[in-house]
Amino acid sequence: MNDKPKFVYVVYIASTPEKVWQALTDADMTEQYWFGFRVSAGGKVGSPFTAKSPGGKDFDKGVVLESDPPRRLSYSWHPQYDDVRHERPSRVTFDLAPFKDQVRLTIVHDDFDHGSKVFASISRGWPAVLSSLKSFLETGRALEPSWSDEDRKRVADAEARA
Amino acid sequence: MSKPSFVYVTYIRSTPASVWRALTDPEVTRHYWNHRNVSDWTVGAAWDHQRCDGSQISDITGTIVESVPPKHLVITWALPSEAADPQKVSRVTFDIEPHKEDSVRLTVTHDHLQPGSAMERGITQGWPLVLSALKSWLETSRALPL
Repeated sequence: MNDKPKFVYVVYIASTPEKVWQALTDADMTEQYWFGFRVSAGGKVGSPFTAKSPGGKDFDKGVVLESDPPRRLSYSWHPQYDDVRHERPSRVTFDLAPFKDQVRLTIVHDDFDHGSKVFASISRGWPAVLSSLKSFLETGRALEPSWSDEDRKRVADAEARA
Repeated sequence: MSKPSFVYVTYIRSTPASVWRALTDPEVTRHYWNHRNVSDWTVGAAWDHQRCDGSQISDITGTIVESVPPKHLVITWALPSEAADPQKVSRVTFDIEPHKEDSVRLTVTHDHLQPGSAMERGITQGWPLVLSALKSWLETSRALPL
């Protein structure tokens, strides 16, 4: 099979494209639903994407590849934790479209090599993050984090770095 | 050749019992799914996905394969006009697990689909919409327009 790993997820949120855009790009927002992570992705094409762990350490880094607020955002994704740092960066793309007083948010995370450990990790992670995002925007309350033991170890390792 | 499957995971601030009820009680499904899911939900029983316009027309029909409330439900899934053709009968599995203190992880797996079929395309578009509406219904008591 030649198909490379590709994660696709669609969620409908009772909100506006502008609010969803802000929630995806503004670290003060992500901290509230992305399980304490501060994610910055609001800059122009070529500017940095960063996801910092609750302790302020670099967890994922990349570069903004496309930015068309509030419709389309794409960035490269390069985890900084030790066991997968050697993998080359993958790519995250969000599409936001109005749909009957809601936003249809589509995320595609692709450009992985076969056997990527990052792919396994993000396939577990995005449903939790995007479920929490939806709850946060619709109810004002995010969900509890859903770390696997592996995730927990990675966060702990990142926090322990100098 | 293995037939394609569609998997969708969503986390909902709710209880397993409430999620089970929201999938199996026609008086709940009609609020967020525009259909009444009608069955007694025992293994071997039929289920029908009936319109709410008074016609009681079934848009989807099937049988209950496994039923372990409030954790695990397996049903078959077909258009009524295709239900007699085993090639066109697909299968849906709902797994409902407690998650943290106040949430549930709901995993919907739809498999035994024919590659490239209209049903495969339809459910791939449909489940995110229905499951987003389910989550909103349980968390906010507001239904999203489908």
